[in-house]
Parts: sequence; C-alpha cells; structure tokens
Amino acid sequence: MLISRRVLLAAALSLGALQAQAAVAPQALVAPITDYKLYVLDNLEQFTEHTRAFTEAVKAGDLARAQALYAPSRVYYERIEPIAELFADLDASIDAREDDYENGVQDPTFTGFHRLEYGLFHERSTEGLDAYAERLMVDVNDLEQRVQGLTFPPEAVVGGAAALMEEVAATKVSGEEDRYSHTDLWDFQGNLDGSKKIFELVKPLVEQDDPAFVARIESNFAALDDTLANYHLSQGDASKGFQTYDKVSERDRRALVGPVTVLAEELSTLRGMLGLD
Amino acid sequence: MSKHDTSSQGCPFAGLDRRRFLQGLGAAGAGIAAAGLSGGALASQPARTAEVADAPTSATTGQAYPWHGAHQQGITTPRPAVGMLVAFDVLARDRAGLEQLLRILSERIDFLTRGGSYEQRDPRYPPVDSGILGPTIDPDGLTITLSVGASLFDERFGLAEVKPRHLERMTAFPNDALDAARCHGDISLQFCANSEGTTIHALRDIIKNTPGLLMVRWKQEGSVPVMAPRPDGQTESARNFLGFRDGTANPPADDRTLMQQLVWVGRNNAEPAWAHNGSYQAVRLIRNFVERWDRTPLQEQEAIFGRRRDSGSPMHGGVEHDLPQYAGDPDGSVTPLDSHIRLANPRTHGSERNLILRRPFNYSNGVEANGQLDMGLLFIAYQADLQAGFITVQQRLDGEPLEEYIKPVGGGYFFTLPGVQAGDFLGSGMLAAADAIREA
Repeated sequence: MLISRRVLLAAALSLGALQAQAAVAPQALVAPITDYKLYVLDNLEQFTEHTRAFTEAVKAGDLARAQALYAPSRVYYERIEPIAELFADLDASIDAREDDYENGVQDPTFTGFHRLEYGLFHERSTEGLDAYAERLMVDVNDLEQRVQGLTFPPEAVVGGAAALMEEVAATKVSGEEDRYSHTDLWDFQGNLDGSKKIFELVKPLVEQDDPAFVARIESNFAALDDTLANYHLSQGDASKGFQTYDKVSERDRRALVGPVTVLAEELSTLRGMLGLD
Repeated sequence: MSKHDTSSQGCPFAGLDRRRFLQGLGAAGAGIAAAGLSGGALASQPARTAEVADAPTSATTGQAYPWHGAHQQGITTPRPAVGMLVAFDVLARDRAGLEQLLRILSERIDFLTRGGSYEQRDPRYPPVDSGILGPTIDPDGLTITLSVGASLFDERFGLAEVKPRHLERMTAFPNDALDAARCHGDISLQFCANSEGTTIHALRDIIKNTPGLLMVRWKQEGSVPVMAPRPDGQTESARNFLGFRDGTANPPADDRTLMQQLVWVGRNNAEPAWAHNGSYQAVRLIRNFVERWDRTPLQEQEAIFGRRRDSGSPMHGGVEHDLPQYAGDPDGSVTPLDSHIRLANPRTHGSERNLILRRPFNYSNGVEANGQLDMGLLFIAYQADLQAGFITVQQRLDGEPLEEYIKPVGGGYFFTLPGVQAGDFLGSGMLAAADAIREA
C-alpha cells in the first residue's frame, strides 16, 4: 500500500465536497470514505497483479492457465466498479461487452476482458490475442495510477452500493456478463462484496435512525450469500470460486432476483439518508 | 386528493343500457380526435399557438372505474383503446410474503384506478413515482385486473387444496408454436386504459412497490383502433390486424343474468366458494402473418372468417349485428362450415354454454428475421368454465383454414380473483379458505 490512511484523511478533510446540509455531519463521512479508498486501492493492487499473470498466460499461449485466471482476476474489478466506472474510457476498454458495439465481436475497438473471454472460451485459442492482452495490461496500470490520484466523491461512493446491485440486476442474473466462460457468479460475488463493503462503512451513520432499514439490507445480503454458497466450488469458501452459471437452477435464479431487487431499491435511498447531493 | 370525474362515465353497469353506455365510450374517441384544437382558447391571456411537442389532449382522462365490488373491473368494463397483459413470477417465498404482495397490489390498484397525487419526497431521495403522468395522476379509464395461474397453487404457499377446478397450465393446441419465454406465470395483471402512458405508469408503479415479491415474466401490449362516433350513436366492433371486426358475437356485458351464467363463477360451477364471482382468463398471443394475408383474395378472406370484411355483417349481407343464418345453410354454401365464426360459435342447441367474453387487443412488436412484421392479436377471454369456454371453442377451431395465417406463440390460463369490498384485499378469501383447511 503506497498511501497511508493518514495522508488520505488529511486530503479528504481539506475538500469541500461534503456539504453542510448533509443529514449527518460532513466529518462523519470522512472516515468511511477514507477506509473505502484504502479498500479500493488494496483491490486495485491485487487486480493489477492478477491481470499481469492472466495477460502473461495469454501471451505465453497457455490456454488452460489463461482460462483459469480469467474469472479470479475480474473479481477485484467487479468489487470496485463504482470507482472504476468514473473513468469511462478505461471502463469501456477494460470491461465492455460485445453488445456495446454495433458489429459485436468483429468491431475493431472491442477490447478488454470480454474480448479475451471470446477468444479463450469461444474460440478456445490464444491465437491473435497478444495485442488485446498487452492493451489490457496498459489500461489496468493506467487505472491504478488514476485512482491513486483521485479524490473520491462521497456521492459516488455511497451511491456505489446501489450501483453495484444495479449491475447485478442488469447483467448478472441473466447470465449475460460472461456468456462464453459462464463465470458470472464470480462477478456476482464481486459486485455483492463491493456493495456490502460500502454499506458496512456507512452503517454506523444510519443504524441508529433506522435499524429496520439496516436489518432489511443485512438479511437480503445474507440471502444472496446463502444462495451463492450453493455454487461454491469449495464448500464455504467463495474465494475458491463458483460453478458455471448454467448450473444455477431456475429456482435459485429466482431466489437471487428477489433480494437483488430489494437491495437495489433500498440502497437507492442511502444517499438521501446521508443527505448527499 | 383524487380527481373523480363523476360527470362522465363513473361506474358503468347499474341501470345503464348497453347503447347509452357505448355512446359514452364513443365520446372517448371524440375527445382524442379534438386534441389540440381547443387548447388555450378560454385562457385570459393571449392564446399560445399549439406547438409541435405539446401533449395531445383527451376529454376522458378523468374517467374512473372504482374497483371495489363483487367483481374486479376490466372484464365487463368496456374495453378502452389500450391494453397490456403482464405475467409475473411471484418471488415471495411463503404464505406471509404472498399476503403482503396481495395487500400491496390491492392498495396500488385502489390508488392508481382512482388517481390522485403522491408524496413529494426530499429530492435527495429517488422520487416515489416515475413522474410520467406528472404530479397528479388522472385515472384515465384505468382498470387493473389480477388473476392467478395454476403454478401459484404449487407447494410454496399452501394453496393446493383450494385451486379452482379447471385451472391448469396451458398446453399446446395443434397449430401452436409456444415460446416458453411468453407463456404462463404465477399471476397476471391486465391493464386497460384510454392511453398507453397510463398503463405504463401503472406497471412501473407496481414494479417499484413490489421489490423482492414479483418478477416480470413476460408482457404484451396492445391497442385497438379508435373510431369517430357515428352520427346515429350506433357503435361497431373494433377491427383486428386482419381487417375483420372482432367481438361481434360477444355476449352483451350489460346482461347481468347472462354474465352470471357465462362469465362469473357461481354456485352452478362446482368451484370452491372463495372463487365465486371470479372468472377464468384465457390469454393467447396469436401472431398474424399479415403480409401473406394482405396477398389473399378478399373472397377467400371472407370465407375464412365467415363474415363480410368491411361491414362485419354475416355472409348473406346486412349489418354487423345481424345474426348469421345457419339453419337454412346446412352445407355451408353461404357461410362455410369451416369458417372461423361458424366453428367458434355454431349456434346449435347447447353451444350457448360455450360462449366466452372476448376482450382482445392488437399487438405490434417489431420485425422478424425474415423482414416480416411481428404483429397479431393479444387474445383475452373470460368465462365461468374454462373447459366449456375457451378450451372447447379452440378445440372446435383446430384445423380451421385461418390457421394458415395465424400462429399462437404464447399466453396462459389464469383465474381472475373475485372483487373485494373496501378495507379488504384481493385474494383474501383464497388465503382464508386455505388456512381453514390447514387448521381443520
């Protein structure tokens, strides 16, 4: 970790980003936002490391290893998407899906993880992927640089808890995110972890005023964890990964949709509760 | 709070004869047709000329169908211009969750069909309403009709013992090509209103108010062409996308005795007591091959339907509501024996018990891979006995010449819950009946 908590705290305090009309004292958000930046930087560091191993496997032509490293690398990105998405150009080149392009996979500007996914899992070859691997590594390094210098906007951080659930609702429950590798549940858990982290950091600010809200959020997070646990590769250990999304029963898909929708709806009020503009 | 327009239609049944009440409906079209002509004329300041993007106006946005009563609205209520059928999966996991859902739906239907204004919230929160109708919601003739599918009576909610007798999962007829993504559902909501903004607003309101309890399974929107009122006050059946009138032979909805026999479940139906005053809802999404139809000679089209296209009259001529004469036409030389209307309703002794109350809308979805239009009929029909009603009628139609031009691709069977009185919620009788059996 390059930046200490103390330096970040000082930087955050000097900013006028936290307005006086907040429902909670502006200073109250400083510590959670600072802790969140540490969380993001920690995940980014691991993201960079894993992406390096992944892209090197691609360039070495080691298909099996590249396939195996694809999903575990993405988890770190999925956790910190509210921040990563602040850099729209990098988000597009790192994580765009073929649906984002009129010509789909054939589009020359389609790069990043999902372009590599197509090669590794659909064409089952590393051939022709070197340039995409190199570009991805450059983009990820760039992202890490930019985030280090970033002042985290509190509304983006707090709003990120709901934004991550919107991500899940939009593409994960339908199995559209990783359509060739079917590793959607890894991404799902990543989004969920990222959302939970933000909620946990600001929970002390809301739990006295609205304990029922906190209870609803926590029970729905727990419901998602329970359902996802049915698909752990190693029982009780999400870090070992997940079965492919086609294994998820229709019943469990429905069991995921309900809590995701509730969380998206409930967490969408979090900015308002904290008085953020 | 709520804006009621008691001067226009109000509750449309009691004491009104069919013609008067259909005239009232005709006025709805006139209001829409007059859009934009009167704007600003009465204002004291100089009238602003109508601008391109001004909202079209309608004289019927205040029309309201209060939903409390023995039956739900949206069945014998006159069909307005716009309809939408949405099938949902219930995500609630137990009886308590289902009751919560039914209470919320009842409360939302009550509000949306009356209209009114909603809570204004601190702008740092998401607004409670989508806002697409503005800060005050007009009822606009909205009805929302809640029905339940056979799957709701599986093991989840303890309702298996109280399932309506004829409620079953729809199975394919010989000409069907059912798309699983557009079939069945734990519940269906039928939305009908004078304009599409109103039905879409209502759907979004319900989705926003039921997170974790409901998931949209499929939806189909439809409409019927609006007509100018005729000078003589007569009304005509709307046309489908094949150009023919649809609903001509519907049993008259203002005949309460007939509705009690044909549409509403009652003592004669050997159904659970809680189901009385409910009805079976048959929904079918029937694709029409319109390009091919438009290349078919008119006389063949008319022989296939068994009616004249332009007037809607029987084959022997006359006007729309003249009755076809089959007695003097035993070999079908006037109205072919395999024509649509003759198969559907042969008017033979005993076939009157197979009559159904149709409430269809036309749908237009997009374009197929072959460049042909994806459009057809959102068929909705109500009956007291699903077997004697839609299923029997459809079995008679199996193999009809019209099949060359149509392809049913989706839909489902549902049971429309009985209506409720103020203070109660839809489905309370069903839940109570199941509770009573469990406790016995």
